Amino acid sequence: MDNLDLLKKDWKKQEANLPHLSYEQLYKMIWNRSSSITKWIFFISIIEFLGMSLLNIFLADEELYAQLELYNLTNFNIIYNILHYGITFFFIYRFYINYKKINATDNASQLMDSIMRTRKTVKNYIGFVLISGAVAFTIAMIIIAKSDNLIPGEQTSEVFGLTEWLIFIGVSVLMLAILLGGLWLLYRLIYGILLRRLYKNYKELKRLEME
Amino acid sequence: MNKELEHQFVKNLERHQNIAHKICRIYTHDQESHNDLFQEITIQLWKAYPKFRGDSKFSTWMYRVALNTAITLYRKKKRSIQTQDYDSVHFKIKAEPYDDQAEVHLKLMYDAIRELNDIDKALVFLYLEDKNYAEISETLGITEVNARVKMNRIKTKLKSIINP
Repeated sequence: MDNLDLLKKDWKKQEANLPHLSYEQLYKMIWNRSSSITKWIFFISIIEFLGMSLLNIFLADEELYAQLELYNLTNFNIIYNILHYGITFFFIYRFYINYKKINATDNASQLMDSIMRTRKTVKNYIGFVLISGAVAFTIAMIIIAKSDNLIPGEQTSEVFGLTEWLIFIGVSVLMLAILLGGLWLLYRLIYGILLRRLYKNYKELKRLEME
Repeated sequence: MNKELEHQFVKNLERHQNIAHKICRIYTHDQESHNDLFQEITIQLWKAYPKFRGDSKFSTWMYRVALNTAITLYRKKKRSIQTQDYDSVHFKIKAEPYDDQAEVHLKLMYDAIRELNDIDKALVFLYLEDKNYAEISETLGITEVNARVKMNRIKTKLKSIINP
């Protein structure tokens, strides 16, 4: 008997020691897109964060600070940035944890939980961006209106009548609507696609569990 | 995506998963790369499944696709890591104490197979799976004569690795 035939016998014996994956685990493997979707959510949130930060740094020149000073917005700007960056960091961290969790599990019900949690995190994040945007914009507008410096070189309170104030408020609301509407559309486009895919996986897993 | 097809595929895969595990055992040397390759094979099988018409047995088809994955796709990705893993495994095997002479010999053989190239590994694998030369040639897409010649060379090669 040559060496390889001896090995063949052992090879057969070793078969008993092979791992065995369940139907569920194998099924999940071919549907294992959830992990890459959450990875993308994580990456996009980082890209978005970097983009915004770069824009912030790029736009922050002497002129901007002078303008902020003129409208009494300096303190508000500092507080807003601290809060905004802090909360954004928290969300990026959550996205990372979601990604890690989905990556680590091969249990269908846990995976479903993770998918639902990821969807919730994304929705909360979008909600945070839109609501904080609206609140910050409104506060900034009130501070600007109170600064009495709306028209260069003149006291706003002396120049503005009711009509002017109404126009000012109208234009502000319109700008806010366009800004938030644009953001909302952008988010629906970027995260919407990913969330729908996640949900599809979720439904697949759910079906699997019923069977 | 057709649900019935999906169900059929996973059922088949579950039944024949040993094939993929054994290929992983030949081509990888630690648990992590075993799982990696297994997942890669699963994905490639699933991608190729619509083309599987059922004129051959699922297992026959699976041998072909899975080995192709191990030889072509996996090689590109894991080349650099493989050499490292090999060293550590080599070391571990040497460090384990054996009292049984036959067992030592088997370990040496497995060790020697790891030094073969990916195509030769495929041949050895099919040989260990008790495939005849007709089946080996069909799975790997070479002629039967070629398979025999290669197999003889591999046997010689293995001998020279074990008794240099």
